[in-house]
Amino acid sequence: MTQDPLDTYRRMVLIRECEAQLNEAFAKNLFPGYIHSYLGQEACAVGVCDGLADSDVIVSNHRGRGHYLAKGMALRPMMAEMFGKATGVCGGRGGEMHAADPAIGILGGNGIVGGGLPIAAGAALSAQMDGKGAVAVAFFGEGASNNGSFGETMNVAAAWKLPLILVCENNLYAEMTPFEQTVAQPDVALRAQGYGMPGEVVDGNDVIAVRNAAARAIARARSGEGPTLLELKTYRWGGHFEGDPRKYRTRAEEAEWKARCPVARFRDVLLDRHGLDEVNVRKVEEETAAEVAEAITFALESPLPVPETALSKVYAA
Amino acid sequence: MATKTYCWAIIDAMREEMERDESVLLIGEDVAAAGGSFGATRGLLDRFGPMRVRDTPISEEIIVGLGVGAAMTGRRPIVEIMFIDFLGLCLDQIANQAAKTHYIYNGLFKMPLVIRTSSAAEMGIGPHHSQSWEALVGHIPGLKVVMPSTPRDAKGLLKAAIRDDNPVVFIEHIALHRVKEEIEDEEFLIPLGKADVKRVGRHVTVVATGLMVARALAAAETLAREGIEIEVVDPRTISPLDIDTIVESVRKTNRALVVTSSLKQFGLGSEVAAEIQERAFFDLDQPVKRLSPPFTPAPFGRQFDEYLNPSADSIVSAVRELVA
Amino acid sequence: MSHPVAIPKLGLTMTDCRLVEWAKKDGDKVERGENLYAIETDKITSDVESDTSGYLRRFVEIDTMHEVGAVIGALFATREEALSAGTPDAAGPSAPAIGEAGPAAVAATAPVVSPAGPTPGQSGRARVSPLARRIAGQANIDPAALKGTGAHGAVLRRDVEAEIERRAAAARGAVAAVPAPAVPAAPEPAVPAGAGDLRRPLAGMRRAIAQKMMHSLQSTAQMTGFARVDMGEAVRLRKACVAAEADLGVRVTYTDIVLKACADALAAMPEINASIVGEEIVTWSDVNVGLAVALDDGLIVPVVRNADRKSIAGIAHERADLVARARAGSLARADVEGGTFSLSNFGTYGGDFETPILNAPQSAILGIGAIADEPAVRDGQIVIRPMMMMSLTFDHRLIDGAAAGRFRARVRAALENPYSMMARMR
Repeated sequence: MTQDPLDTYRRMVLIRECEAQLNEAFAKNLFPGYIHSYLGQEACAVGVCDGLADSDVIVSNHRGRGHYLAKGMALRPMMAEMFGKATGVCGGRGGEMHAADPAIGILGGNGIVGGGLPIAAGAALSAQMDGKGAVAVAFFGEGASNNGSFGETMNVAAAWKLPLILVCENNLYAEMTPFEQTVAQPDVALRAQGYGMPGEVVDGNDVIAVRNAAARAIARARSGEGPTLLELKTYRWGGHFEGDPRKYRTRAEEAEWKARCPVARFRDVLLDRHGLDEVNVRKVEEETAAEVAEAITFALESPLPVPETALSKVYAA
Repeated sequence: MATKTYCWAIIDAMREEMERDESVLLIGEDVAAAGGSFGATRGLLDRFGPMRVRDTPISEEIIVGLGVGAAMTGRRPIVEIMFIDFLGLCLDQIANQAAKTHYIYNGLFKMPLVIRTSSAAEMGIGPHHSQSWEALVGHIPGLKVVMPSTPRDAKGLLKAAIRDDNPVVFIEHIALHRVKEEIEDEEFLIPLGKADVKRVGRHVTVVATGLMVARALAAAETLAREGIEIEVVDPRTISPLDIDTIVESVRKTNRALVVTSSLKQFGLGSEVAAEIQERAFFDLDQPVKRLSPPFTPAPFGRQFDEYLNPSADSIVSAVRELVA
Repeated sequence: MSHPVAIPKLGLTMTDCRLVEWAKKDGDKVERGENLYAIETDKITSDVESDTSGYLRRFVEIDTMHEVGAVIGALFATREEALSAGTPDAAGPSAPAIGEAGPAAVAATAPVVSPAGPTPGQSGRARVSPLARRIAGQANIDPAALKGTGAHGAVLRRDVEAEIERRAAAARGAVAAVPAPAVPAAPEPAVPAGAGDLRRPLAGMRRAIAQKMMHSLQSTAQMTGFARVDMGEAVRLRKACVAAEADLGVRVTYTDIVLKACADALAAMPEINASIVGEEIVTWSDVNVGLAVALDDGLIVPVVRNADRKSIAGIAHERADLVARARAGSLARADVEGGTFSLSNFGTYGGDFETPILNAPQSAILGIGAIADEPAVRDGQIVIRPMMMMSLTFDHRLIDGAAAGRFRARVRAALENPYSMMARMR
């Protein structure tokens, strides 16, 4: 949890730099797999995680680096994991869609769209049974909202008043299909009413708005009143994955959304409303960029896991 | 000692473990107020309360998912999927989430989850309530698969499954629920992955699982009158399979028959037969034989069940062929 | 990488052979399908083609004995590899010389004279359970030589164990309780060994004969019946043929005439031209008559094919060629395979009557003795007739005594009136 706006900004920049520099590495053919970029959605992860403690848990999805970094995962082991290196947070066997750190409440990503929602509900069940006010957050996209697991999770969470915040990052595209083409009613948040829980549409590019909405949902969950569905309207700057030609949308639309850049928006707020010095803000940006560059170097220089290790840990001893 | 039914052995196992460990909880359809679709959770709601014993909606994916998330955060959940036929509705949570989480995250999480489910094969209730899918789940690395054939095994294995740090698919057979057995009063566990020689013999090793174990034992009585002594090996755990015990028996008898409710094609019998020939080829005096239902869905009605499934008589015939 | 050159199994019963020729030298390039070496079994020499291409390295010399499967050389990718290769242990130097303690080997069906028709297991390997094979290997028994009692004739553990028990019993000098078709271990000699005794291994053709004879006696129910034949007309026929030798181009013998008589009788009585093979009775479509030919060091039975469709002179030509080649050791495998009946003329060495042993899986063999003038009663008068004793050994499992009697009568009638044979000739 942070109340320091410069720290919030630092995390947004960290995600921005991480995604931008990974795209560069990918373009140079230095990256081994898919990149599901989080560029453009930085305010969502940071705004929600600003309200969470280490004892609160998040369940991420296939586009998870923003969530990991916002929740506080150490940069170097996370980066090495993305590259599948032995120094990665999962020893390199998880890769680009999987990283976890149970000590700070990160229960992993997922390669299955919608696969994490029921797990988040299970974590919320644990939190409810513990009775210590911890909450669970499920990050998912609007694409996952059309998966059966969403409905089952919404219903049980509401019926059992689980301390769960369902964070739907609506970036408008379910993989390569515009969300509006797959639904008759494009506001995911409206579905909350049918399941008997509050739902709220939030400007996902405004980190302050996200933080405020998340704070309300978290408070409700902590007090035992049950779950909330937050729909954060945002935009995925990149394709479903890097290299996706993005034929399903126009470059003009992308330019329009990039003009609403969540990082630049919050930077303006810092300078205008919080009166921060441009020099200090730039210093944060430069430090963060260097930190990410160093982490990528670390990842590139790290060894690959030994193939024989594939046979280990199929079962817990 | 007390005589217990298979059903009560399961209830006892859960009650004992829930008493012993507060992190154990039970969720599933009809498990709380109703006491279980087949009565296998009777009394647990009263004993442990609604926080730990919960009825769910008919939502198999969330039932297992709740277990996965709870297991990742320090609980030891038991979730119930009423019929094994319903695993299709929650296979992602079982195969991709529960089974792989420990592996993907390089051991950062344990997955002490028990998925209790039931087979109703041969009970005449049709194609969606009659399958034997132990081979299906046995094909997924990270899962353990248990299939008790007696009340005592059911109790000891379930207690061990609850204490295991891995996801366990625990397959009960409803037709066995009323089977009775003397069970000691003292606490005991039966380790997962250990087969049990249910009858010692020297002429043919008969590997039988679940419902087939009793049939193999009945066949053994008939055959004994002819001077043929079969050794009945019940793997009890399908995965990991205790192939060592099976092979040890085959080394002695030099002949093997595998009897399963699992279909013949890609079935449990295929796996056992392949392991036997890989490890004990030069101990075999006859080809390994499989006795399993043919590759077809199970239609409604007992007459089909009797036609499709191995019987004590067909076991007797198969053994006679092996010793001919 | 090298490819082993291993002794192939060329006949159902072949277990060992003598390497008689290398067609290539060390380092020679060998093409797939080229003749690589020649082996001899039962006096039959066979060329063996290479099953792959490469450069040869020979591991053994000619005139050495090898079991089936023994590696006698290897083919390498390059000439250099071939020449630099030693005789690797891994490649398995040739099996120990046969006759020391080599495994007994006789297959369930006849060796050299395997029938013309299809025989189970002839094309593929014998059905032996893995366990039986292992136990047999430990006991130095060739399991393929045993008669299997499992499904489809599979040799099972019990068959090998019975053989082990039988050998043990034989070694103790007891009568073997369990019949099994293989050469028993030789009992300890009853005669004390003397300094001048000559000892040589039971090997090669002698070994094969020993095994075949034992196998025949142990696996069939042999019974022998006799008939006396008045050969007067046959003598006249033979004299006429000899007189026409220049014209016929061959000297006809009594054997040729009897062989023809047998062939015609077999064609008329297919129940004799039959075998028990496994669990089946096979009636052979062709009449192929084997003729026992004595050699200096043994016996071989070349086959006159479709003898029922050949003339006496035609049979004589073929017989003359087979006998000559048998004595020269140049018979081909095909010459000795496929017999459905055998004829043995012990009259050639002065025998009157003997009881021949079946050439399994054939069900009958006819032995003929010397023709000698004897008193006979004709029309109430004692007259001198050239008489010959005929002995027919038959497998009583398949052929009843009456049928055997009818067969003998038919052969006798043909010999006493040989013109009928000639009249029927197509």
